[in-house]
Amino acid sequence: MDAWWQCEVPYPFVPQEVLNAADSVRASLPNKYCDPKIAADLFEEVIDEFLLCDDLGLNVLAVEHHAGINSLLGANPLLVGILARQTRQVRILSLGTLISIRKDPVRVAEEYATADVISRGRLEIGFVKSGGTEMASGNANPVNNVERYWEAIDLIKKALSQRDGPFSWEGKHFTHRHVNIWPRPWQHPHPRMWSATGDPETAAEVGRRGMVHVLVLRGPEGTRRAYAAHRKARAEAGLPKVTTDNFAYAAFVYVGDTDEEGVRVGSKLLWFLHTSLKSAPQYSKFLPGSAPPHAAPQIYRTAPSGGAAPVSLVNAEKGVASAGQNAARLTSLTAEQATAQGIFFAGNPDTVYKQVMEFYDKVGGFGHLSLVGRSGFMTHAESEKSIRLFSKEVLPRLREIKPVIAD
Amino acid sequence: MLRYGAVTNATEPAVAERLAVAGVELEIVRRGAGRPVLLLHGVQTVDPRARFLELLGRHAEIIAPSHPGFGRSARPAGFETVYDLVHFYLDVLEALPHEKVTLIGLSFGGWLAAEVAVKCCHRLDKLILVDAFGIKISDRETPDILDVFNTSPLEVQRRSWHDSGKWAPDFNALSDDELVVRARNWEALCLYGWHPYMYNPQLKRWLRRITVPTLVLWGASDGIVKPSYGRAYGDLIPDSRFEVIERAGHHPEIEQAEAFVDAVAKFLNR
Repeated sequence: MDAWWQCEVPYPFVPQEVLNAADSVRASLPNKYCDPKIAADLFEEVIDEFLLCDDLGLNVLAVEHHAGINSLLGANPLLVGILARQTRQVRILSLGTLISIRKDPVRVAEEYATADVISRGRLEIGFVKSGGTEMASGNANPVNNVERYWEAIDLIKKALSQRDGPFSWEGKHFTHRHVNIWPRPWQHPHPRMWSATGDPETAAEVGRRGMVHVLVLRGPEGTRRAYAAHRKARAEAGLPKVTTDNFAYAAFVYVGDTDEEGVRVGSKLLWFLHTSLKSAPQYSKFLPGSAPPHAAPQIYRTAPSGGAAPVSLVNAEKGVASAGQNAARLTSLTAEQATAQGIFFAGNPDTVYKQVMEFYDKVGGFGHLSLVGRSGFMTHAESEKSIRLFSKEVLPRLREIKPVIAD
Repeated sequence: MLRYGAVTNATEPAVAERLAVAGVELEIVRRGAGRPVLLLHGVQTVDPRARFLELLGRHAEIIAPSHPGFGRSARPAGFETVYDLVHFYLDVLEALPHEKVTLIGLSFGGWLAAEVAVKCCHRLDKLILVDAFGIKISDRETPDILDVFNTSPLEVQRRSWHDSGKWAPDFNALSDDELVVRARNWEALCLYGWHPYMYNPQLKRWLRRITVPTLVLWGASDGIVKPSYGRAYGDLIPDSRFEVIERAGHHPEIEQAEAFVDAVAKFLNR
């Protein structure tokens, strides 16, 4: 098994009364509450943490979210470019530029090819469906978001793979008549591609395309179901079986010297659930296209106005649970509950290893663990401590888990 | 093709009919008798129980389809732009037996009506635009039309009505079927109108082609798109008059049904 460390660079330093009064902590919270001097310190700390990962052989992962306290990484390619140059050995996963809100996928392909070359072939390219507040921030029509997602992936993949001069793309959502990117990527035909999704329909397409399939904070049932949809779609398409290397899982992870320290400090990560998910109803339950119309009776009638609501990462699987129900479950989660639900692995190194492997067994195996390792008010020192302990005490044991055919 | 069955509740005063036009199965509300009026709905489909239908039906034969994707009308694959809707309604005009009809467009349907009138005035005898979308009037940093998708639902309701306490829908009191229709309407509106948001940058230039007598009717308290926008809209249409309905927001046909129908009937009988 491989492991990837991530930090979304959250900005928790907004007064609680401001957050309480706001109907959304994403998309619409004025940026006067974000002090660029504090932001600079945060970036410096987190980039140093990524470099520590590089020293210790722990892969790194860069996300993208826009305009909210949950993340200052609105410009994923910039961080990926920095990591491409500043790290020296580990692999770098961009998960990822939000392609369904970018107007020009060819430009995204150029950014990725450049980062792959600068890093001399250490880039991996992940795609995230996006949704929720990102639609407002990105000025992107939410109704045909998934269509744009796949078309952009197709175009980026072709732009990265093409070697014989310009080609033309006249798709439904993107047109570009003269595509010919320089440099081409270091890896041939292109860096490995990942996709983050939980709903069965998209999971099936990820399977048919053979992408690495990552589930974020989904818990064992949803994760197992998504992996199963991935495998089933491949079998139905007559495609060869894949190994656990095709599957990834992202959870909050904190390793301390003791179980007590692991849970106490690690609990700071749950700020992400408790505070940073708050999203206004126009970005969540009333976002067009986020649920099929037949689910409207359940969605329109539930949840108080202006209350906590979900984010794309943990969005309801369409028609399965209302977005409001999902959010209510997550925003009030205790550390104990989060561990029981398989989204929080925390304790001493032995405990964390055990929790990861228990989850591994529940979902039928996976080849990549992504650690949401720093969030909320966790300090730089606390974050670095967990990175060191994980890399030295847990990662070598996880590396022993070799890919196996996943049935 | 259709995901939802037709309305068949016999206790309702009127039921929707179904009609296939250009391969699209449409839900259509028909009421009244007299001169033919094609009514293009706005953000929401026309409720067959709406009082204004009853009142206007005394003056005219009303034909009110739900746009493809709205209500219980099908939306063919790939049919997802206002361009599609406008050409579809040109087909509808051709399919109607009447030599000429009066075209009424409400809100989003007003945009469609203006586009259709620009292209096909010879099939119209009169045009009525009610709190219509469709053009850009103000400067680039002043939105003319409230961004209903990125505004709090409570604020959207407050700005939709003169008296939102009386008229804003209570979702807990609506039937499952009504909520499904609202969700379909919301999704279709977003698909068609997201970008450029609720207007065609080129339309303003061509409004001069509308040669039929036109009434631009506006709710005085409309907070979705203000009366000043309606006045400017009217100024771009040669033979037009602009009238305001007091104590009405974005839906004067619902909030002030009598005054609305009076204004329409007076214009039709001129």
